[in-house]
Amino acid sequence: MTVLGELALWIALPVAIWGMVLAFVGGKHGRGDLVLSAERSVYAVFALLVTASAGIVAAFLGNRYEYLYVASYSNRALDTFYKASGLWAGQRGSLLFWVVLLAFFSSVAVFTNRNKNREFMPYVSGVLLTVITFFIIVLLFADVNPFEKLGFTPADGQGLNPQLQNYWMTIHPPTLYLGFTSFTVPFAFAMSALLSGRLDSRWIVVTRRWTLLSWFFLANGIIFGMRWAYQELGWGGYWFWDPVENASLLPLLTATAFLHSVMIQEKRGMLKVWNMALVTLTFSLTIFATFLTRSGLIDSVHSFAQNTKISFIFLGFLATIIGVSTVLIIHRYPQLKSETEIQSFVSRESAFLFNNLMLLAVAFAIMWGILLPLLSEGLTGEAIQVGAPFFNRVNLPIGMVLLALVGIGPVIAWRRASKRNLTKNFTIPLLVGITVVGIFAIRGSRHWMALTTFGISAFVMTVIVVEFFKGTRARARIEGEGIPRAFVHLVARNRRRWGGYIVHVGIVMIFTAFAGAAFNVKVIQTLSPGQSITLASPLGHDYTLTYEGMSSSRGRNMVWQAVALMSIDRDGRRVGSITTEKRLYETWPTPMTEVGIHSTPFEDVYVILANADDLIAGAYENDPAAQRATFEFQINPLVGWIWYGGLVLTFGALIAMWPSQGPLPEVRQTAARREAVPAAVGAD
Amino acid sequence: MALIVGAALLTGGVILYILLPVIQGRFASLERSEDELTESEAKKRVSLLALRDVEYDFATGKLDERDYKELKGEISREALAALREVEAESERRRGGAAAERAGGIEADIAAVREGLRTGTTCHSCGHMNADGSHFCANCGAQLPAATETPPG
Amino acid sequence: MFKNRRFFIGLVGVAAVVTYLIWTGVSETMVYYMTPVELMARTTSDPSLHQVGIKVSGRIVKGSWELVSGEELIHRFAVEDLEDPGVAFPVVYQGLLPDTFNDHENVEAVVEGRFREDGVFEATSVLTKCGSRYEASSEELAG
Repeated sequence: MTVLGELALWIALPVAIWGMVLAFVGGKHGRGDLVLSAERSVYAVFALLVTASAGIVAAFLGNRYEYLYVASYSNRALDTFYKASGLWAGQRGSLLFWVVLLAFFSSVAVFTNRNKNREFMPYVSGVLLTVITFFIIVLLFADVNPFEKLGFTPADGQGLNPQLQNYWMTIHPPTLYLGFTSFTVPFAFAMSALLSGRLDSRWIVVTRRWTLLSWFFLANGIIFGMRWAYQELGWGGYWFWDPVENASLLPLLTATAFLHSVMIQEKRGMLKVWNMALVTLTFSLTIFATFLTRSGLIDSVHSFAQNTKISFIFLGFLATIIGVSTVLIIHRYPQLKSETEIQSFVSRESAFLFNNLMLLAVAFAIMWGILLPLLSEGLTGEAIQVGAPFFNRVNLPIGMVLLALVGIGPVIAWRRASKRNLTKNFTIPLLVGITVVGIFAIRGSRHWMALTTFGISAFVMTVIVVEFFKGTRARARIEGEGIPRAFVHLVARNRRRWGGYIVHVGIVMIFTAFAGAAFNVKVIQTLSPGQSITLASPLGHDYTLTYEGMSSSRGRNMVWQAVALMSIDRDGRRVGSITTEKRLYETWPTPMTEVGIHSTPFEDVYVILANADDLIAGAYENDPAAQRATFEFQINPLVGWIWYGGLVLTFGALIAMWPSQGPLPEVRQTAARREAVPAAVGAD
Repeated sequence: MALIVGAALLTGGVILYILLPVIQGRFASLERSEDELTESEAKKRVSLLALRDVEYDFATGKLDERDYKELKGEISREALAALREVEAESERRRGGAAAERAGGIEADIAAVREGLRTGTTCHSCGHMNADGSHFCANCGAQLPAATETPPG
Repeated sequence: MFKNRRFFIGLVGVAAVVTYLIWTGVSETMVYYMTPVELMARTTSDPSLHQVGIKVSGRIVKGSWELVSGEELIHRFAVEDLEDPGVAFPVVYQGLLPDTFNDHENVEAVVEGRFREDGVFEATSVLTKCGSRYEASSEELAG
């Protein structure tokens, strides 16, 4: 099976090249037979790459340690679940996995468009196959072939890093890759629009939903990664402004910008060049992120081993993408001119423009931070780095402006809005925001950045709630429907808008959670069994944690496992217990820490077993004197809102993406409607 | 042995599958399909949606009455232009049999056209005036006299 | 499309603010990134470097780790140069060390903090390069 997989990978290369060439030639000369052959190549490449992946998975499950990749990331005692996910545990496999996902999305794109958008499809297949070809070449020729053999067969593998043996870590990379790879489809459509010269609104319509899908995966992938870091890295944090984390955030930012500015192009025929540029940029950034993880070019706790051959191949590819798309955009510039102009400074168009600027500013600042060590070393010979303090300093203010724009945008009308209306619509939300800040300030809080964020969040939430309320009321009046029915129809008839607002609610929750981190409590304390510690929560109550003692356990794949038990009382009432552990895995030289988390809707109690006098004696001989241990205790307010916000965001994105039937929203000309419209005009 | 057979099957199958269209001369369509939205139809759709948005924006208090009327006139004009284009196109395509798709919101457009015929919609700027107006409230152009009572 | 002057002013304003934020951000939070050899050479020639933030990338000296205080979690270990193991310096650090930290496996580490005049590096953060357990070399697998 594994040999067949390797063979499939080798066959995939000529098939992909064949399809790529035929697609472009067939498109240029209008040869339908060549195009059909190219489209079949897309499916064939997908099937071949699936066979190759199956080969790797089979090697993992069959403990085939003569393969370097399998020996490096697995061992006999490893859980089957983690063996199967070995496909994306390391650099070699994850590149193969990346290109399988790309081939999957390519096949979906070609299949769903088999009867429509036919003018685009030759070039779409061509671009998709070009990217696939690139990745297969990397796999085969850049010393990262997952099928590479050792030349001998070790008795057992090295095992998987215990920190990666975690549910969130298993789903985090695939979700992120889904986001990265699916963005190739919008890019392919943009390029095909440029190549075919059909630059009307059609490509935008096709691209929009794909971009949303890709955005959805990216956002969730990043949130899963935060979840993993919070639970597994044992520092109580979830984001470290690490280069690789940053690189995954960049395409999310530019894709967000595109999702907003594309509306301006659809509604007003403006910003066509800008949108093309954003698609190209986002795609380039997905490639950049993939590259950064793998090249080791920039120090990062996440990066795989250093490999300079890969650096050159990737940089060449990136330069080609940017060069070709720039030339194409310049070539088609006459067809990309704006049809209209922005009518007023105070309009939703201009709010969106501002939002775009801010998103790109954040992306630029982050990019600058990533590249600074390289740039400074190249220019002055002295490497300068920036870390979390820099990113927080720069991105916090811009992030707050962006958050405020989330609230301002929906209330400003398209084309033009008047000051009087703004005053009318902003008064209540602003008052709510100021009240929230006031309440916190009166209660003695002085974290002004966090307070401002809470205030802006409250403002935005009020705007969105009022928006839903007014929309429902207006629909009920105009269409003559009951309130519940009007609400359902309101959302159903304009899913993009209302789904988008729900996504905004999720974003607001996540920002609120970030601000909550300003109130984190952190104490290091050594306790003997029976002793306890009392922590004051920023929410006003007390937690008393009592160290009950240590016990042993022995999980699969482990040498020993020492478990410390704590009971938790909130204001004197027992609310639960927490365990925190040290475990020694058979395949890992040092003990690993497992943190204990007690989650409530508004805060987490987070305990880390930092050090113990004698873990083995304490856990296995039940000697209380040896069980004395040092813990780090944290109270992390609002941290759960990141995960809840992620769920809300997912829900909203699903509503916005859900395919709608029928080309036009149905609006019945009811008697009530005929009366309501002029009445609405006459009123006021 | 099984491996060689498997490899041969895989390779042969793939080659046959991708080469067949060229050998047999089977074509993938490269033409725009009949029922695909044309650019003018897409424009019409956008205008109609904008018209709906304006109505909601006004009903939810985001637009002043003056802006609302102006915008409504403006967008109606855009919608009308797109509509004319669509009609011309479909006439060209179907040889005169302009079979228009029935859609509820197009009733709005029908009203605009009705207004144009009866003289309440300004011919020079597209603004929708109140029934019985003699001059356009937006640009001041003289409106043609209404020949019949506009339907309520 | 920026006929309206206000858009242009807005654009310039945003660009200016962002540039300002990045500029001051870099100058106030930047750290020098160097190897132990560079650290030794440069602090000798320029003593003012003892006062600024520095990040050093090296390897943890085998058998050098010592827990000075278990209750306060004060650690002491030494970091040596990757290419010239003769060059090393002691590090003190208070806090939790990453799980991948150890002093018997040639662990590469990045310490960030201040290099005191007495030759001790006072670290505020210690990172070990983990990645997905580095690519194992074939010698390691053979052994």
